[in-house]
Amino acid sequence: MTRKVCIIGGATTPFDYGPTGFESIEGGAAECMKETQKDVPDFHLRDIDLMVYSHFSVHFGHQLCSEWIIHDHLGLVGLPHFRVENGGNTGGSALYAAALAVMSGHHDVVGVVGWETMDSVSQSQGSEFIALASDIRYELLVGGIYPIYYAAMANKWMKDNQVTEEDVATIGAKNRNNAMNNPKAQWYRNEHKYITVDDVMESRLISYPIKKYDCCLMTRGVAGVIVCSEEYAKKVNPDGYCTIDGIGLSSCTIRAGDRLNFPGWTERYGKGYPEMTEFAACRNSAEQAYKMADITDPLKEIDFGEIHDAFSTSEAQIYKALGLADEESIAQFLRDESTHMHGEIPMNPGGGLMGYGHPVGATGLMSTIECYYQLADLTRKKHLSKKTVVSDANCGIVNSHAGTGTSISNFILRRG
Amino acid sequence: MAELEKIKKEKQRKRYADAPVFTDKASYRPDDVNETGLCFVGHEISEDGKAMNQFLHYDQLYTIRHGWNSPFFKGLLDGKIMGTRCPICKDTWVPVRTHCWNLDCDLAKTEWVEMPLTAKVHTWTVAGWSGRSSLKRLPIVLVYAVIGESKVAIANELHQIEPWNVEFNMPLKVVFRPKKERKGIITDFHFEPAEGWEPGPMTEEKERIQNLIEPVYKWVSTLK
Repeated sequence: MTRKVCIIGGATTPFDYGPTGFESIEGGAAECMKETQKDVPDFHLRDIDLMVYSHFSVHFGHQLCSEWIIHDHLGLVGLPHFRVENGGNTGGSALYAAALAVMSGHHDVVGVVGWETMDSVSQSQGSEFIALASDIRYELLVGGIYPIYYAAMANKWMKDNQVTEEDVATIGAKNRNNAMNNPKAQWYRNEHKYITVDDVMESRLISYPIKKYDCCLMTRGVAGVIVCSEEYAKKVNPDGYCTIDGIGLSSCTIRAGDRLNFPGWTERYGKGYPEMTEFAACRNSAEQAYKMADITDPLKEIDFGEIHDAFSTSEAQIYKALGLADEESIAQFLRDESTHMHGEIPMNPGGGLMGYGHPVGATGLMSTIECYYQLADLTRKKHLSKKTVVSDANCGIVNSHAGTGTSISNFILRRG
Repeated sequence: MAELEKIKKEKQRKRYADAPVFTDKASYRPDDVNETGLCFVGHEISEDGKAMNQFLHYDQLYTIRHGWNSPFFKGLLDGKIMGTRCPICKDTWVPVRTHCWNLDCDLAKTEWVEMPLTAKVHTWTVAGWSGRSSLKRLPIVLVYAVIGESKVAIANELHQIEPWNVEFNMPLKVVFRPKKERKGIITDFHFEPAEGWEPGPMTEEKERIQNLIEPVYKWVSTLK
């Protein structure tokens, strides 16, 4: 890495579906910046020299270039700005762009603001909007929504890896229960209850083997994070910054069925991978991030993670793609509750997409912020109790994920 | 000179493709579908007078120009599954690719081939929820299946089967809607179990799926 990249702070609005108190996106963005300033009094908006905006679908906002509204509202007119869009990996991709800007030496302090307003249409219409990111000529009319594509992939993955419905249901319960300690989380604000594996198993069928409580939430929310040079981090927040030591971004086919024999993957990983079951772009981007951060044994060297649990099944698939377990060990890894707060590598202490929420453009940034809080010892302050604080957290992974695994980024964050 | 210039320009214009002239037209627009464009249709104000919501309706007709992919969609109208094949490496695809995916083939333009109407299940799911336009058809059995020698799997619905009876690798046939109902879209066809295929015996998993979809049948029957 040519120049060290750091994070000095960040915040989200409360995530919700319906009234939040922060309905306008520009108002939400302003509040994210104000909370960051409160945490880091020496940070000032005047220090920002680039804004990267992270927003997925104009269908939800019915406003093209809504980043212009936010940028203007933040008083940043004159600063360079652009928007990144990369499906569910929009947040991760915006963070990637910001990190590149700082690494290059061209920018010192980059604000990254993401949002989505998914409650502007009904849930079923919202599902259909998101599915417009599938190939509409071939898949929209026959599947209709992403959970169906994920269910088809997961069904085979679970059989190939001897993973049961109950095994993945532990993830659905874990993330929602973690969110019960996070006052900004949608699950805490709305349903507000602890659930069990049985509750997940008994929730309504979405697409076998995925049930309602295996699925993430549709959300309105805004998130903002400040990415900067080490020099700036040491100046404004010497005791509370984290470093981005590794970054990785990779891609896969838009249609899951097209990755069975894709030459690009065969060249990299041999015939038969990723099949329709593995997230090759996750493995590939994790390998890039690990290499950059000198990580050779992720399970031992990474303390926790905030990862893209669009579905409990996909969180389990991601564990494998991140190299935390293999075909032989993944089922036991789940049964050992390895990623619960008491486990070897807690995943989604902040609640993840199933607990905190999934306002697409803000999601990867929310994961980054939650990871940063753990590394800056801010989680106790932001959450309701120490239950979701990862003790001795020095190294975390942030994962952002799009399409049917079509674009995936991974980041290694360490305490500064 | 001017004539030469004109011929040169015409040649440049035709370099990629002649502009098609569309003569064979069909319309199956439902009576209640209209394009209204932007229209504010209402609002609401909270009890305390502090928050306001507005309702915006937007309805737009899109033209999907299939261009070089057209033979696939036109094939559907004719009851054919058209695939493409690389003339160099011979990889074959449905869904189609107009250029080869193998970097060694340097984006070779592919050739069209008619595919057999037989397939095999690669993976499957039983949907109990879907997008707004598909809710009344639930539960839906969706399979990713490999048609003929295709290198990729295509997603489509599997009919004529109890949802819990789907199996990995089961043989399928491609079945088209009656000709007059076809629209040149992916739902012009679906899969059905191949002749002679019989489901395996009842298992714990099949019972589980039966139980999961029971409420779906009930819920769908209440939809207007």
